[in-house]
Amino acid sequence: MIGGSMASVGRVWRSGRGDGKVYMLSVFSLAVAFVCLSSALLVVFNLRAVEMRWARAGRISVYLRDGTSQDQVAQLRRALEQTPAVASTRHVTAADARKEMVEDGVAGSLAVLPVEAFPASIELALTDEVTDQQVAAIAQKLRDMPSIESVETYQRWTDRISALVRGGVAASAVLALVVLAAVVSVISSTMRFALHRRRIEVEVLKLVGATDRFVRRPFLVEGALQGALGAAASLALLALLYAIVRGKFDDELGVLLGVHPTFLPWEIMAAMVGSGAVLGALSAFAGVRKLSAV
Amino acid sequence: MVRTVSAFRPALRSGQRFDASAAARPILSFESVFKSYRTDQPVLRGTNLVVERGEFVFITGPSGAGKSTLLRLVYCAEQADDGRILFLGRDVARLTEQSIPVLRRNMGVVFQDFRLVPAWTVFDNIAIPLEILGLPSRLIRTRVGEVLERVGLAGRGVDMVSGLSGGEQQRVAIARAIVGEPALILADEPTGNLDPQLAIDILGLFEEIHETGTTILFATHDRSLLEVRSHRIVVLNEGRAIDVPNGLAVPIDEAGPPVDEFTVPMTRVAV
Repeated sequence: MIGGSMASVGRVWRSGRGDGKVYMLSVFSLAVAFVCLSSALLVVFNLRAVEMRWARAGRISVYLRDGTSQDQVAQLRRALEQTPAVASTRHVTAADARKEMVEDGVAGSLAVLPVEAFPASIELALTDEVTDQQVAAIAQKLRDMPSIESVETYQRWTDRISALVRGGVAASAVLALVVLAAVVSVISSTMRFALHRRRIEVEVLKLVGATDRFVRRPFLVEGALQGALGAAASLALLALLYAIVRGKFDDELGVLLGVHPTFLPWEIMAAMVGSGAVLGALSAFAGVRKLSAV
Repeated sequence: MVRTVSAFRPALRSGQRFDASAAARPILSFESVFKSYRTDQPVLRGTNLVVERGEFVFITGPSGAGKSTLLRLVYCAEQADDGRILFLGRDVARLTEQSIPVLRRNMGVVFQDFRLVPAWTVFDNIAIPLEILGLPSRLIRTRVGEVLERVGLAGRGVDMVSGLSGGEQQRVAIARAIVGEPALILADEPTGNLDPQLAIDILGLFEEIHETGTTILFATHDRSLLEVRSHRIVVLNEGRAIDVPNGLAVPIDEAGPPVDEFTVPMTRVAV
């Protein structure tokens, strides 16, 4: 079996080496198409991570008005700690807020601001069993209190992230169809061109007793290679761009989003390359399915 | 005539014990074969021809007589309009499309224009019938080396076919035809693109192959080849096959008009 596979590889190399330039052009075209898809997948993947991060935030930030006294803060905390949905409370002064920002590694940007720019707050940690309706009810009650400037439940933020993720998934699906059309079109055309260039070879093969399947096999392998290489090239390019962008904005994005951006996981990359190979083989089959009769 | 399709299975399968009766049957026979490309101009009209195992047969006739058509019918590049064509006991005129590759592995075909893959080496061109059979690489190398030596091209396996002369290319084509040790070789004007001396050399090569027991059908319009050898000749004329079993003899008639090049003495007529 290994010998047969080696022989097949040898046949593919022998037959396809003359079409190298055409195949490179095909791989480049496919890489451009796959870059669009992989970029969308990267964005969706990271948005999904943000969504997961904030969907179960289980916290409420209660921002206090300027001039709220320590007694008022303590009274408020006692009241909140007696609420069943609240697991714990923590008072964050303005100085504490600035200190936390600096410790998060945003030095050089937000650290230059004065202490007064950072709001004091009471951070509520909620229990795991709390529902969205309970959170909304607690927030409404807190907003009605005079010493409270605003209440952030992060629900709008989460809803927006979720909407973005849904939009990203839809866009990825559309891009996947575009990529599918591009792969089929490019590879089937390339294979038809290769078949025409190698018509003498095909004719000879059939004259000496090759079946259509034997004749088609190298074309299918070449199509699969083009699809796989196109996907791999797009991932390599995207990884390079990601490395460049991440190096400049990693800290800021981490603070803003609550999660550090990551590249596509190995499973998704492997699935893209595998899908490229399968699509390539199918497209090549479509391009050479009608071998001229001899 | 009711047409039925069948799969190709040679009457004598590999691995079976030698069957004397099978060996005695003709390797190829045409029975009332009709073929035309235009309804008013049939190429073969009820052609009958029997070729015994191990024969060397020249197929000759004027241009358009049907020499190439006859051979193309044998390896199923064309379909007969009517009649039977029996090869190794099976009617190849009724083969399914899936069986045609199997048929072609049992015969070798040599063409006037060589039909080699110019982008491949000599070795690759010769080895392809063995690759199709799925033989291991080591065996292929051994077998190709043997046939290269046999056709006088020993050590030339790595050369590109496009760099060979016409005679050398035809030798490669012959090597490809014999590498699978087929029972039948079909040669369609193999010397048509070669000079007279090379043509004689190539004919000699075919005769060497014939001496090993291979049946050869050699289509040619080159009278010089017919005259230098005393093999059986089948003349195609007006769609029929006229047999000259002992070779070509040119009658000399000093008083009469010139004898038509393809008018031969009738020793046996197949109607």
